[in-house]
Amino acid sequence: MTTEELEQLLAQQPIALLHRLARGRVQRHFRTGKRRLIELLLRHSAENRAGFESDLLALIGERTARPAAPPPRPAVQPARHSAEARRAASAHQEQEPHEPAVTLQAWLEGIGVPPPQPFVPDPWQEDALAKLQTGDVIVSVPTGSGKTYVAVEAARRAMEENRTVIYASPLKALSNTKFTEFSRIFGADRVGILTGDRRDNGQAPLLIMTTEILRNLLYDAAGGEIDVRLDTLGLVIMDESQYLADPERGVVWEETIIFCPSQARLLLLSASIGNPHDIADWLTSIRSTPCHLIKHSKRTVPLRAGYLHPDGKLTPLFRTLGIPHGHPGQWHPEAKRLFARYEDETMPSGRRR
Amino acid sequence: MPPSIHPVDLITALRQRHLTPAIVFLTSRRACDEAMESFDHTNSVLPPARQEAIAKVLEQVIAQYPSIAEHPLIPTVQRIGVAAHHAGHLPSWKIAVEELMRHGCLDAVFATTTLAAGVDFPARTVIITQSSIRKARDFTDLTIGEVQQIAGRAGRRGKDLVGFAIVTPSPYIDLGVLTKGFTGHPEAINSQFVISYPMVLNLLKAHPLDQMQPILAKSFAQFQLNQRAEILERKLDDLHQQMEPYGPRVCTDWITQWHLYDQVRRQRSHRGPVRRHEPPDVSARFHFLTPGRIAGLAKSRGVVLRQYRSKGQKSPMVTLLRQGGAITECPAAIVTEVFDRVLDCTEAPVYPWCTTESLESLLRELEELPARLPVLPILVSKEHEPIPDAIVQTLGDFSCPTCPSRSACQKDHAHASKLRQEQQRNVKAIQALRTSLWHRFQDKIDALQHFGYLSPGARLTEAGEWARLIRIDHSLLITELIRAEAFTGAAPALLAAVMSSIAHDDDRPGAFPRISPGLGSLLGQVRKLAESLSPYEDPPLLRADIAAVTEQWIADPTLTWIGLCKKTTMAEGDIYRLLARTLEFLSQLHTLKDTHPALADCASQAIASLRRGVLEELP
Repeated sequence: MTTEELEQLLAQQPIALLHRLARGRVQRHFRTGKRRLIELLLRHSAENRAGFESDLLALIGERTARPAAPPPRPAVQPARHSAEARRAASAHQEQEPHEPAVTLQAWLEGIGVPPPQPFVPDPWQEDALAKLQTGDVIVSVPTGSGKTYVAVEAARRAMEENRTVIYASPLKALSNTKFTEFSRIFGADRVGILTGDRRDNGQAPLLIMTTEILRNLLYDAAGGEIDVRLDTLGLVIMDESQYLADPERGVVWEETIIFCPSQARLLLLSASIGNPHDIADWLTSIRSTPCHLIKHSKRTVPLRAGYLHPDGKLTPLFRTLGIPHGHPGQWHPEAKRLFARYEDETMPSGRRR
Repeated sequence: MPPSIHPVDLITALRQRHLTPAIVFLTSRRACDEAMESFDHTNSVLPPARQEAIAKVLEQVIAQYPSIAEHPLIPTVQRIGVAAHHAGHLPSWKIAVEELMRHGCLDAVFATTTLAAGVDFPARTVIITQSSIRKARDFTDLTIGEVQQIAGRAGRRGKDLVGFAIVTPSPYIDLGVLTKGFTGHPEAINSQFVISYPMVLNLLKAHPLDQMQPILAKSFAQFQLNQRAEILERKLDDLHQQMEPYGPRVCTDWITQWHLYDQVRRQRSHRGPVRRHEPPDVSARFHFLTPGRIAGLAKSRGVVLRQYRSKGQKSPMVTLLRQGGAITECPAAIVTEVFDRVLDCTEAPVYPWCTTESLESLLRELEELPARLPVLPILVSKEHEPIPDAIVQTLGDFSCPTCPSRSACQKDHAHASKLRQEQQRNVKAIQALRTSLWHRFQDKIDALQHFGYLSPGARLTEAGEWARLIRIDHSLLITELIRAEAFTGAAPALLAAVMSSIAHDDDRPGAFPRISPGLGSLLGQVRKLAESLSPYEDPPLLRADIAAVTEQWIADPTLTWIGLCKKTTMAEGDIYRLLARTLEFLSQLHTLKDTHPALADCASQAIASLRRGVLEELP
């Protein structure tokens, strides 16, 4: 191929192909126009003419092989150096198989109230209750999946066997809420509450208390001076068990679990945490019965994430309708553009925090 | 463009899209209050039917908790259908807001992220405006667990088909933190086991000392430490395998042996001047061959221009100016005689090693020298410095120089000793992991024995028997105060005030009522004692202004809640929490009624007068 022929061939190609050809050959090629790019490519080709020509022909062949393929990619994003360019390119390729990003209309669709349905317990709830017959259970599920149902049913079953149930919650306010709720379910005479300064119906079969009070009860019982009916204690429900990691109060949860009488079953209810199996292993290692782990991460009500610009424009946050688990980089292009603009306008002198 | 969306616009946008009800998480209590204020002059009011529904729910709640009847936010809540919910509010107000949300009366609630866990009601939408929260006076990024906890409030079971978590930027937001939070897997949780004094006392009350270690081993803390120890043990096994080719050789512990030998060898070679193979008379003479010195050679004489040691062999060399003007470099051994005569010579750093003028004068003077010159008597020491006996002896101990595995030892020593060091480090680390809890426990035992709560045999003393009932923070300070009889004869108000200053751990500034002189002097004593206890227990803040709030509330039974709130800039919710915590501390003192009847009585009086008004209405 003579130089003129090569120049003509290059001129016939779309600019995107030239940019691909220039990658790694011409520095800052994305800055140049088509004519300048051809000039630079020709100058560069002098070094290794054969290699250059074969690359060009390969690219042309690739292009003609899939004429219906998506339109040539938009001009390559500004890449600072080749490594980054390669990464950007690979990220782009990774995204290509995805369907285009969701539209706002699609994202907003489906708002509404579901038709009233008879309550059917989820399989995991049944599973948790069944496992509680043979050992301790730790439930680690997303917020709002229905842990309370498990607690109520477990308490009901234990009370039917004439066992005492203790329900421990981290906050006094939460204890009060649960007291009201459980009194409604089981009847006021069957539910009692013990907190730092409140003592109602302390002889009831279902006792609600803060974890600190439960810990103190267990200490007093170990010291042998208090008439707690620990021998009839059949079930200890510990709500919000992720408090185990609370810097100030976490130790109380540990003490309670360590000193929990061995004949009582433990039911730990927790929000999603990273290592529930560790806690299950721990409980198995220190208690007489094995601990079963009930874990899932699927929300009952699906979640969608959005981005609201200060000027009131709403867009989806991710390309997908739901949350793209494990792919934090899949931003919706519109959200990305708006947020970049926001940062440009609000960050003093472009400094990022 | 504004740095963040205006609350009114936000609510309007949400209503348009049918995204209400929503919980809007804001950075601070102040942001929540300001958001509420911004609705004062809008006309986006609710239709009358919904306003009535809100009024009806509020009426029910007020019937139960009259303290919120006059709440300043009620008009806005009724008119617009938005509310604020944060730690600065009374629990009864929070219950009211939660009740309104449950009935679906509100369009939005402004809440702080600090207590995301405390917001126990769901909504269709949550609005996230920041990516960091204030923790211990510092802003830290939200963890994945926290983001999911917040997002978990979106979508009500049975009431919504989908939930929405919408991010709206405010300055300093990092969207990356939030997207990671939405899509990521929550962090693992770690044990926060702390060994406290009451824990030690209560454990020793129920179990003998020799059962303590097994009990501590049951903690999640020890479980996690064991997990780490197991990882190290696996690494140790691995190291053990790598060490296999470096097993016993001629000597069993050849690594140590070679290490010592190597050290001694190095030490020896550093002792004394470098020994050279030169005759003693040459080296003795060499010191005198300074520039300008007349030196006698075999057949003639010369002037020394410089002396030096040759580069490779370090043999002594001199540069001589000979009779006849030749400048030669020759070994010092060539000098047969050193004369007692030195000529003036101005040295120079380069050839010919002296200035041209002095070279000329040197040459001239050399020619003019008399035939006979006095010889410098130089004493030649025949003996070499002997190697100190100790070293000779040590070297004799080593068989290494003649050992058959010497070359192998020399080759492998570096790698093998590195491996062995790592092995030893791991063994120590495992040891520490396995025993650290027990050591921490023992430290506490020592302290308790020091103060006399435990006998030397680690049994509870009389003081220990009652001290174990105080199971709150700063228990050591409180029990020591009781033993020092600091509260003897103190009024209930004073006791409660001191307890509240011990209980309060927030350093939020503000304006507070004046404190009484009696309380001032008592707090002074407490502070002194707390400082003396600081090696054993972190001292509390002991704020006098906080104590004054409690004192006023108890000392003046006619003081209303509104009146108390007016005396300070503290938020209502904070005052409530302070008093509730004081109640808890006082009820702990009340448990000492068998051993300290007067104190328990005083505490129960304080409890009785503390629990009135707002504090009485809430359990």
